[in-house]
Amino acid sequence: MSTALHTYTLLAQVGSGRIQGGWEYIWTAFLIAWASLSLYSLSLWLRRPGKAVNDSKE
Amino acid sequence: MSDVMKTVLQVLSAAAALTSVFLGAWLGRKWAPPGSRYNARPVLLGMTAAALGLLALGNYLGLVWTPPEREMGDVYRIIYVHVPAMWMAMLALTVNFACCVGYLLQSSWKTDALAESTAEVGLLFGGYGLVLGAIWGKPTWGTYWDWDPRLTAMAIMLVTYVAYMALRRFVEDPEKRAVWSSVVGIISFVNLPIVWFSVKWWRSLHQVQSTPKTVDPDMTLALRVNAWATLILLTLFLLHRYRIALATREAEVALPEALPTDVPGPRDNHASEVA
Repeated sequence: MSTALHTYTLLAQVGSGRIQGGWEYIWTAFLIAWASLSLYSLSLWLRRPGKAVNDSKE
Repeated sequence: MSDVMKTVLQVLSAAAALTSVFLGAWLGRKWAPPGSRYNARPVLLGMTAAALGLLALGNYLGLVWTPPEREMGDVYRIIYVHVPAMWMAMLALTVNFACCVGYLLQSSWKTDALAESTAEVGLLFGGYGLVLGAIWGKPTWGTYWDWDPRLTAMAIMLVTYVAYMALRRFVEDPEKRAVWSSVVGIISFVNLPIVWFSVKWWRSLHQVQSTPKTVDPDMTLALRVNAWATLILLTLFLLHRYRIALATREAEVALPEALPTDVPGPRDNHASEVA
């Protein structure tokens, strides 16, 4: 079954849900998740061992 | 997408994640200890690429490919970031509990460093997972926050781990810090089973745990791919944070030979090493 046909079949069965819209909540949630993971990665990079030694040489 | 393709995706994502966990544990021994000259860059780049690739695929599946949910429409798609975050928080804090118990049974700076790492990374996932849950609550429950058993237990648990991290900051003596924080870590963990089972024990506003039997198979695929991707990220975060903690501990203890104290022995020996 093609992806489009599969999607349409499912939509015919369940509709688009009782709650309509709400994409602003979805995007906000995904952005917060991505931002949290990115910022924590940055903090690990800034705290990496040997950074102080390298900085002092510059 | 054919069933074969779905199975292939599930197997590949699981294999990538479990291999990454194995490699992470291996690098924790070979690369993380201070002074190690092991070149971990190729493995780390491979793990990072696998994590980002799976995360991109999982986000695509969750945001575009999966159908809307019967009751919640599209809003339920927050599940694909909220649930993996909570699972990783619980996994990290369970490892933290094991480290706390392990340290009290047989003291080791490595165990203490891993305990510190798991608490911080667990707080990260638990913290943003809770925020995502609140965002999900607004369109589905009509409110960002409710003093529901699941939400309340989770909030209390995160506060206790904030206290755990604060304790680690305020106690300067590494030996006392390790012992005291181990005790606090064990006490904090008491909340974790309450968080997990709260939706079954009480009439909770929060829905019960989703399982492959209760959700559409397409949703299961998207959820699993996202969860495996997040597991690789958890492994990478723990590995890097563990390396930082070991380096910090070495600098604190000052005596380089005092750090790798993983030879079985009574804890009393550490007092002289730290001093």
